[in-house]
Amino acid sequence: MTKQIEFSGVNKHYGAYHALKDINLSIDKGSFVALVGPSGCGKSTLLRSLAGLEKITGGDISIAGEVVTTLPPRRRDVAMVFQSYALYPHMTVEENLTYSLRVHGVSKAERKKAAAEVAVTTGLTGLLHRYPRELSGGQRQRVAMSRAIIRNPKAFLFDEPLSNLDAALRVHMRKEIRALHDRLGATSVYVTHDQIEAMTMADHVVVLRAGVIEQQGRPLDLYDKPANKFVAGFIGSPAMNFLPATVVEGGSVTVDLGNGPFSLTIPVAAPVGAKVLIGIRPEHLTLTASGEGRFDAVVSFAESTGSTTFVTTATTPELMVVETGRRLVATGDRAGLAFSDASVHVFDAETEQRL
Amino acid sequence: MRRLYSSLVDGRGFDLCLIGIPLVFLIVLSGVPLVYNVVMSFQAVDMFSLGSFIRPWVGFDNYRQLISQPEFWPIMGHTATFLAASIAGQFLFGFALALLFWLNFPGASWLRGLFLVSWVMPGLVVGAVWNWLLSGDFGVFNFVLHQLHIISGNVFWRSDPAFALWSVIIANIWLGTSFNMIMLSVGLSSIPDDLYEAAELDGAGALTRFWTITLPMMRSSIGALISLGLIFTLQQFDLFAAITSGGPNNSSNVAQYWAWDLSFKQYDFAKGAAISVIMIVVVMLASVYYVRSTRHEVRG
Amino acid sequence: MSETTKNRLLLVFALLLAAVYLFPLYWMYITALKTGSEMFRTPPSFWPDEPQWSIFPFVFQLKGMNQFLWNSTVIASGSVALIAVLGTGASYVLARYRNVWIDVGLFLVLMLQVLPASLMITPIFVLFTLTGILDFPRTAVILAIAAKSMPFFIVLVRATFMSVPMELEEAALVDGNSRAGAFWSIVLPLARNGILVAAILIFMQAFGEFVYSKSLIQEIELQPSSVGLNAFMGPNTNEWNRIMAFASIYVTPILATFVLLQRRIVSGLTSGALK
Repeated sequence: MTKQIEFSGVNKHYGAYHALKDINLSIDKGSFVALVGPSGCGKSTLLRSLAGLEKITGGDISIAGEVVTTLPPRRRDVAMVFQSYALYPHMTVEENLTYSLRVHGVSKAERKKAAAEVAVTTGLTGLLHRYPRELSGGQRQRVAMSRAIIRNPKAFLFDEPLSNLDAALRVHMRKEIRALHDRLGATSVYVTHDQIEAMTMADHVVVLRAGVIEQQGRPLDLYDKPANKFVAGFIGSPAMNFLPATVVEGGSVTVDLGNGPFSLTIPVAAPVGAKVLIGIRPEHLTLTASGEGRFDAVVSFAESTGSTTFVTTATTPELMVVETGRRLVATGDRAGLAFSDASVHVFDAETEQRL
Repeated sequence: MRRLYSSLVDGRGFDLCLIGIPLVFLIVLSGVPLVYNVVMSFQAVDMFSLGSFIRPWVGFDNYRQLISQPEFWPIMGHTATFLAASIAGQFLFGFALALLFWLNFPGASWLRGLFLVSWVMPGLVVGAVWNWLLSGDFGVFNFVLHQLHIISGNVFWRSDPAFALWSVIIANIWLGTSFNMIMLSVGLSSIPDDLYEAAELDGAGALTRFWTITLPMMRSSIGALISLGLIFTLQQFDLFAAITSGGPNNSSNVAQYWAWDLSFKQYDFAKGAAISVIMIVVVMLASVYYVRSTRHEVRG
Repeated sequence: MSETTKNRLLLVFALLLAAVYLFPLYWMYITALKTGSEMFRTPPSFWPDEPQWSIFPFVFQLKGMNQFLWNSTVIASGSVALIAVLGTGASYVLARYRNVWIDVGLFLVLMLQVLPASLMITPIFVLFTLTGILDFPRTAVILAIAAKSMPFFIVLVRATFMSVPMELEEAALVDGNSRAGAFWSIVLPLARNGILVAAILIFMQAFGEFVYSKSLIQEIELQPSSVGLNAFMGPNTNEWNRIMAFASIYVTPILATFVLLQRRIVSGLTSGALK
């Protein structure tokens, strides 16, 4: 696999604020990479640095083997889809689509032809002579996408392109963008705060926090083997439960959920006396009759969407259980909680790293 | 060369070029005169030394002579009266009109805009019209006041020392009221309706709502507008030139007219510069307040 | 009282107020149309017996108003051109960034906006004399007006630029345009209306400018209408119908422009002046 995009030792400072801290990341040609993290984590800054809209203060960025660190955006040959779509309001759809071609001196006839071709693939035929204000949200989104596609650039950059759409359209566009990516054989970098978007669309997910890459890898690897507590909590919904525990002898731990300590037999690779966090995803916990699970807890809250039941326990910290189907439990019921050893993640309580 | 070009087209050079040229222009044509004004106010300048850079240094003599002139304090007093009365009049009339148009009846916004013609007219035309309106024997202003039984004999607005300043003030209030009204209208319409609805549900009557919601919410607009009024009023020159020329016997003279009169009628450029320096300091202080209240607006 | 009746009453009341407020303007036109004797009649007549329409061409000829108006136009156009060319770029930079230097720049601009012309004219006159600019009096006035009014233009146009989303410019950059190209083909077209309104306001101001013209231009054939009007009004004049005719001819183009464009001008003015 050839590397299409490489960040090496990239740093970005805004005055005293250190927005990107020594980012190293390489992106394969043809892959779909999602940059994901909470707001303010630096994912947009990283994308904008790649586009040349932000000047990095250290390190190098290269695109298709060429170092572009000091080049202005127009010499980087990347296309970008903005969160607000950034359609030029004083131009028709066709003029919007062909703006980049016009800038590059493509003749009018060829521009018209290219616009017509792209319009067919993205379903914009018939809208070419409208202005952006006359389009619906979904149509604007398509124009923004088409404007990127028309150029055949070295990389497509997406900056939270779906966040202004309603839920149903968002799910639909997710598939459409991914299909488009596959058809064009393009390299795409996709910024989102929505981990579900990242997990469903990308080949490779990069989790950022406070300007640092916390973990990167294939989506399911991140789900199965989160490198630290942050990634474990960020990927997966609802978020993973963390049980504070102390390692005792005989391959077991002591857990205290506010109602007195009890012990669980979980093999942990840590010295006796070490403080750890036991991570179990809500979907890996199952409810049993009281006394029949690994431990008992009182239900504080239960809600059902019909297909799924969400149960919260009256413990400190609260635990969340997700069960498929309907479970008839009510507030105050005492229930057992079961899980398999394979579904347990153990993190060092101090460093929050996976053990 | 290539790097310079690419910076001009793509980078910092583009911004520096766009801001740099106007900045140099403003510094040369406003900043330099401003500094030179201060220098001149410490020099002896007459018709003969006007054309040379080097002139005798006289320290604070110009200021001392200026202050010891008998008309100095009266003129300062007139300036203060002119400022206070103009600003108060413009503001109160403007606020009253803004409240009326705020009721938002059909045609309100168009009619409100029409008032602004008083503000876009050349100051000298406004002055000429008011000069005629305020004429003592044949002025229609006196006629109207007479019909309303406010006065019994004719008031010689422009030539009576007791009224000359007020004739300019009246014209200036007329000129500035519409601008005040427009700006206050903006402030009024920026107060969200649900605040009033909430207050009404809490049992506040119309007057209480005005005192407890409208006025407090308008505070920064009002502050900005009053300092803007101070700045505009201190700039007012044309009305004096067109109505009284500062007379009779300086009874309607104000600092900004006096400065010009000293320089261009009496050719005493040094004293003209001295009075300018004094007044510019006053204006600067007012504008610091203006900038502060508008900053507040932007961030708030 | 129904809503409609209330609205009607309010409208009638506001119309009355407008009539009172705009009476000076009415009086200007009416006086111009009166004969010399009717003008001084007591009680004054509020409608002329025989409107003297011929006074307008007469005064126009008598005072050589074509030259005055031409000079006003030259001065106003020159000032607007200079201000628009220089001020637009400055407004853009001041709108695009948010940092300490921009704050300092804005503060300076606002400070310059407040300097009264009648106080600045003394040093400007002396400096223009020293540098020889005064040999070209109309150019001198244009330069002085440009320096005086540019800050006002910048304040208004900056507000316009702030309403143009930054992403549009960034999209143009990524689409392959240079900073200069993006400014020219994306930002400027979107800010066009605001710039136009500001330019019109500046034109009106410059068209009526008096202090600089009066002080810097000695030759009558180069003076603008404001100076001409001032010279017409001697201390003991009794030619008020002619003066009002002069004023009417001078001010009518401005008023017409304003009434035609008032919605845009008012909104442009209010968006910038308090921000």
